[in-house]
Amino acid sequence: MIAMSAHTAFKPLFEPTSIAVVGASATTVSGGNRFIRHLRNFGYAGRIFPIHPTASEIEGLPSHRSLAEVPMHVDYAYIAVAAHHAAEVLRSGRGNVRFAQVMSSGFGETDGGSALEAGLVLAAREAGTRLIGPNCLGVYSPKARVTFTEKTSPDPGTVGIVCQSGGLGIDIIRRGQNRGLRFSGLVTIGNSADVGASELLEYFFNSPDTALVGLYLESTREGRRLFEVLQAGKARKPVVLLKGGRTSQGRRAAASHTGALAGSDRSWDALCRQTGSTMVDTLDEFLDALLAFQCLSLRRMPSKDVVLFGNGGGTSVLGTDAFDRCGFQVSPFDASTVASLTALKLPAGSSFTNPIDVPAGALQQDEGRVAERIIDIVSASGQADALVIHVNMTVIMSFRHVDMLGNIVEAALKVRERSASSMHIALVLRSDGESDIEESKREYRRIAVQRGVAVFDELSSAAKALAGVRSVEVFRAKRQVD
Amino acid sequence: MAIRDLDAVLCEARKRGATFLDEPAGKRILASWGINVPRSCVVRADVEIQAAVSAMTPPFALKVVASGVVHKSDVGGVCLNLRSAEEVEFAIAQMQPRLFAKGIEPCCWLVEEMVPAGVEVVVGGLVDPEVGPMVMIGLGGVFVEVLKDVAFRICPIANLDAIEMVEELRGGPLLRGARGQRPVSIEALVHVVLRLGGEDGLLMACADRVAEIDINPLIVTPDHAFAVDARFILRRSE
Repeated sequence: MIAMSAHTAFKPLFEPTSIAVVGASATTVSGGNRFIRHLRNFGYAGRIFPIHPTASEIEGLPSHRSLAEVPMHVDYAYIAVAAHHAAEVLRSGRGNVRFAQVMSSGFGETDGGSALEAGLVLAAREAGTRLIGPNCLGVYSPKARVTFTEKTSPDPGTVGIVCQSGGLGIDIIRRGQNRGLRFSGLVTIGNSADVGASELLEYFFNSPDTALVGLYLESTREGRRLFEVLQAGKARKPVVLLKGGRTSQGRRAAASHTGALAGSDRSWDALCRQTGSTMVDTLDEFLDALLAFQCLSLRRMPSKDVVLFGNGGGTSVLGTDAFDRCGFQVSPFDASTVASLTALKLPAGSSFTNPIDVPAGALQQDEGRVAERIIDIVSASGQADALVIHVNMTVIMSFRHVDMLGNIVEAALKVRERSASSMHIALVLRSDGESDIEESKREYRRIAVQRGVAVFDELSSAAKALAGVRSVEVFRAKRQVD
Repeated sequence: MAIRDLDAVLCEARKRGATFLDEPAGKRILASWGINVPRSCVVRADVEIQAAVSAMTPPFALKVVASGVVHKSDVGGVCLNLRSAEEVEFAIAQMQPRLFAKGIEPCCWLVEEMVPAGVEVVVGGLVDPEVGPMVMIGLGGVFVEVLKDVAFRICPIANLDAIEMVEELRGGPLLRGARGQRPVSIEALVHVVLRLGGEDGLLMACADRVAEIDINPLIVTPDHAFAVDARFILRRSE
C-alpha cells in the first residue's frame, strides 16, 4: 500500500504537467528566469506559469499574480524568493500546488534559521503541498524534460539520485553523464525539512524507470527510516551511498567501551552491511560504482576471479595489487587455457598467465583482431568472473595506421554480446591527458558504455567499483534475494 | 518473566536517580534474558561469608559494589582467584580501608565463581542518535578501544547478521582456535549477541531507558559464553 502510493505520489514531481515559477524577474535575469530558460531549452512540453506581483509577462510568458491565480493545478512550483517570504508564497498556493521546491537558503542551515524553517513546513502542511528543500537547486528529470541547470543530457537512463547538496547534484549530473551515466531522475533535497531521502528512495525503488539509486547525504533526521526502507528493498535495486560528515561527528564522552567506539561512521557502515548498500568515500568512487551497476548485470554466483588483459607490464602488476586489495583473486590460468593462448603464436614479450600482458606491437597482429581471440579464450575458460581490459592509450594510439583501440573495444563488445557466460567486462582507458588522447577516449567511452561495458580511468578505480558490485552479489546470494 | 525483571530493576534504579546499574543488577537482567552469568552471591562485610558461599565452588572472584564506581578494577575493587571463604574475608578486610581512603564506600560485595579460561569478547549495545539501538562485538578485552577490532549492527539483527559480525573481526582466528588453542563456541557467542540485539533482544526492549550496555568481558569457552562483567548506563530521564 505504502509502496504503491510512494510511486504515484511522487510522479508529479518527476513528470510535472504544469510548473509554476516564483522568483523570476520582469527586468533582470534571476534564478527563476534561468530556470524558465533551462526548461524551454531542454524541451519541456508542459505549461509554465511565472508568478509575479506586478508584471504581466515574464520570459515571454503570461504572468500570474499569485499561485492561487494559476488556472490549473500546479504539479511543481519552483520557489526562489527571500527566505522570509517563502512561507507566505506557499500559503498563497493553498490547495493548488502538489510539490513546491524552495531553493532559498537562510533556514535551518543557518544560526537562528530553524524557526523560519519550522514556519515553512507548517505553511506547506496547511497548503496541502509537499515541500522539497529548502536550500537546494532543483529537480532533473530527462524523461519529462525538466532540468535546473545547463548542458544536462536529454537521454533518460536508469539511475535515480537523491542528493542533499545542490552543487554536488550538478557535479553528479555533469561529471556523471560524461562518464556515461544516464539518469531517471535527480532531486536535490537541501535541508529536507518535509520530504526526506527515504520517501524519494521508496519512490525510486517502486519506479519501473529506475534500476539503481545513488544517495548523497549529510545530516539526516531519518536514519532509522532510511535503514528500514533500504532493508525492505533487499538490494534488489543496488544503492550506492556517499555520506558526508561521517568522520567529524564525534560522540559525547561515553561511559562505556561500546559508547566510546560508536560514532556516525559505525552506524552508516552497519547500515550498508545490513542492507547490501555500497558505501563510497568520494564523488569519483560514487560515479564509478553507479556506472558499474548501470552497465553490469549482477551475477548469481558472487564474482571472485578476475582476469586482467592489456598492454603494460607495470600496469598489470599494479592492477593485480589493486584487485587483490579489493578482495579479488587474480589466479594463473590452467594448462589448457595457457595452451590455447600460446597457440595464437603472439610474438615474444607477451605473457599468457594471468594477467595477460600483450605489448602494443603484438596487438598489431591481424590489425589488433587478436584481442578478440584472446577475450574469447578467457571467456570460454570459465576462469574469469570479471575480465578487465586495460589499454595504455598513449602507446596504442601511436600506431596510427590501424584502429587498434577500436578493434580492442569492438572485440570486448562482440564477446560480451555473443557470450552466454555472465562474465563482467570492464574497460580501463588510461590516458596521459593530451587533448587528442582525451578526445578519442571520450568517444570510445561513449561507444562502450552505450553498449553496456563499464569504462574506468584506472585499474584501481575499476577494482573498487567491481568490489561494490561483488558486495551486492554476495549480499543477495547469502540472503537468497533473486 | 524477563521483561518483568527488567522493568523492576530499571524502575527501581530510576527511583533512586541512578545513572547506571550496579553489577549484580545488570547481571540479574542478563540472566533473566538467557545469558549465562557466573554463579554468585552478594555479601556484606559484616555477615557470615562462609555460609553465603557454601553452595559455591572456588576459586572465587571478589568485586566491590559501590555507588559511583563504574570501573571497579581501576580503583582496586577487584580480587581474583580466591580459594576459600577465609580468603574472601581476608581480601575484603584488606581492600576495604584502601577504598575508604579513596572516598569509596562499599555498599556490598559480589562473590562469583571464576569461569573457565576462554577468549575475552566485548559485547555491547547503545542507542545511536541517528539509527536507534545498535549492537556491537569486539575483541581485545580492556584494550578494545585501542585495537578497535569491533563490528556494529543496527537492531534488530538476524542470526546471519550475528554470524557476519563475528566474521568481520580481524582477530577472528583467535575464536577459531589460533596457535593450538581449542576453538571457542561461536554458537554460544552468537546466542549472546542475539539475546542483546535480536528481534526479541534486550536492546529492543529497553532502548527507551538504557543508553549503553557493556558486557566486558564475555568469556567464550569451547562450550559456553559467560558474562563476567555487566555495565548498564541509563538514559537521563527527561
